Amino acid sequence: MDMLTQAEQRTLEQRMQKRQVKEFMGAFGNLVEHCFDSCVDDFSSKALSSRETGCINRCVSKWLVAQRRVSDRFQEHNQQLAQQMNK
Amino acid sequence: MSFLGLGRPQPTSEQKIAAVEGEMRMMADTYNRLQAMCQKKCIPTDYREGELNKGESVCLDRCTAKFLDTSIKVSEIMQAEGQAAGNQGGGGLF
Repeated sequence: MDMLTQAEQRTLEQRMQKRQVKEFMGAFGNLVEHCFDSCVDDFSSKALSSRETGCINRCVSKWLVAQRRVSDRFQEHNQQLAQQMNK
Repeated sequence: MSFLGLGRPQPTSEQKIAAVEGEMRMMADTYNRLQAMCQKKCIPTDYREGELNKGESVCLDRCTAKFLDTSIKVSEIMQAEGQAAGNQGGGGLF
């Protein structure tokens, strides 16, 4: 990273941002698919039932806290690796 | 050492960016796989609660550690295989 000039870093950041937008859309799509698959399987009505709505709510919030937790552990792991390399 | 960039071909700007980008992408890819995998292994899909319970939380922590260790292990084995193949002078897998 520190080998790049400022202009190069800007180019890189722009590319990563574009990628992030794409990845976010992908993750969103996956989450919809996952919660639909887990919560919705009764098609006797065209409206989501209160049970299904509740399940979707819990599915999304649980997904978010789980992502957060794994992300924290991932960062800790990387920090440990970096510290080991500096020793 | 090179003086004013002479003596050794310097990587172009594009090459340097691509190298760093590739590294970041690999990291992001590992991260995304980790998230998907541990979600799948640790979170039951009945969604009776919207919060993580104790068991699920611990599972996520351990899953993360194991996934990352697995990733390191696999890369070590692949490297060793690659070196062995290189020493034999035969064509490696990669």
